[in-house]
Amino acid sequence: MRVKDNAIKSLLGFIVLYTCGKTVSRRQQRIVLSGLGLFLLLWSPGWIAAQDQDSEKPVPILTGSAGAFSFLTGGHNIIDTQINPVLLVPLGDRWLIEARTEFEGEFQRPPGGGPYGGPVEKHVDYAQIDYIANPYLTITAGRFLTPFGIFNERLYPVWIRSLQPDPLILPIATSPSDGAMFRGGFSINAKTNLNYAMYVSVTSIGIGSVDSDRQVGGRMGFFFPGPRLEVGASWQRTLQDERNNAFGFHMGWQPTKVPLNLRSEFARSFNGSGYWVEGAYRLSQARFWQKAMRRTEVVARMQQFYLGEIGPDGASELDLPGANMREADFGVNYFLRDGLKGIASYGRQFSSAGNANQWSFGIAYRFLVPLSRVGGQP
Amino acid sequence: MKVHGKTSLAVLLCALVLASSVFAGSPSSGRNASVGAPVVSLTDADNMRVQGEQRFRANCGRCHAAPQKFPPRMIGTILRHMRVRATITDEDRRLILFYMTQ
Repeated sequence: MRVKDNAIKSLLGFIVLYTCGKTVSRRQQRIVLSGLGLFLLLWSPGWIAAQDQDSEKPVPILTGSAGAFSFLTGGHNIIDTQINPVLLVPLGDRWLIEARTEFEGEFQRPPGGGPYGGPVEKHVDYAQIDYIANPYLTITAGRFLTPFGIFNERLYPVWIRSLQPDPLILPIATSPSDGAMFRGGFSINAKTNLNYAMYVSVTSIGIGSVDSDRQVGGRMGFFFPGPRLEVGASWQRTLQDERNNAFGFHMGWQPTKVPLNLRSEFARSFNGSGYWVEGAYRLSQARFWQKAMRRTEVVARMQQFYLGEIGPDGASELDLPGANMREADFGVNYFLRDGLKGIASYGRQFSSAGNANQWSFGIAYRFLVPLSRVGGQP
Repeated sequence: MKVHGKTSLAVLLCALVLASSVFAGSPSSGRNASVGAPVVSLTDADNMRVQGEQRFRANCGRCHAAPQKFPPRMIGTILRHMRVRATITDEDRRLILFYMTQ
């Protein structure tokens, strides 16, 4: 196992130095990625088989989420169906391979009427290898979610998010990264945990579903377990085109005595700026219809977006609103069972391009399947 | 100047790795520290279970509703994923693993 660990460390070190050290051509990137792929392909089955022999070892898992939604915005209906499988393969004591792909179909009626139709988009959200070096440091290489704010990395899956429509500022500084990342979380005293992430990403490798930008950035946050309060800040610098900076701030608070989940993000960039504030309240303390109320969550979100210097056309390319916009959303989630919930929400958009109502209905599901023998329940 | 900046970045990253390795010289950073619940006495076990439940509610509840319990070998994988994704601390991960596998 030590020989295998050393081999992986060498490869990881090579990738880190390679990505930091010089401008990389497409051919060189393909060689490195092909080498990484071949390496994983050759070494993974041995490790997976070895883990089967130990009843305490973590097993590979196929998890992810699926959802079917109807979004009605300004009288225009879109049927959105998606499945986002996540593969988790632990290797040895310190390694983890993780990958998530998104298959999303957005179906709508053509302008002249007729049956629903539309494209099914495919994206590799992340495909990364993690090495847990020590309690303070995890090294990640490959394609990873850009750590900017909290929504992109932690709240994006449909079974987790409280409201299904994306926050208006989500596209700011959150395009996937291809490169290397240092991250970790640790206690700095009995009342405070520190978490951080620093990354460097190379530019697109020319394959449509795995495009990325050349950029560096980082995020730092403080979590106070007593009051369950988290605050943090993010930064990103694009190293291509306009070479701009983006800044972000985030917070999350879950009071201990009230089943409330309060979250917020702020982002400022060349492309646009804005914020969202969201509160989700579980009705578990209601004194009536307790069986149903404890499964019910009500949500409210307020958000605002200010168009940046890229103009309406540039904003549309990035999935940002083409004009300044304010939006208020209200929703309800009903947890049918663990990992399965029904959702409904109403929102009102106020914009110089026109106001609109936004309704959403649907169902979200989280699945989790072991890919090896796991033994019994605890 | 460009080369200078890249050299500085490489030196900074190396310094970070070395510094974290030095700080990692605590008992919890042993080879098996990142996997598996430790062997403990009954009193310690009760204490760890209470601590684990607190850490579970504080960390997991930041993003999603509490999931059901899964077999220990699945929990180990999920927590390793969460350690990376949600940057939970190694101590929190060990206590949550203990709580979730009891």
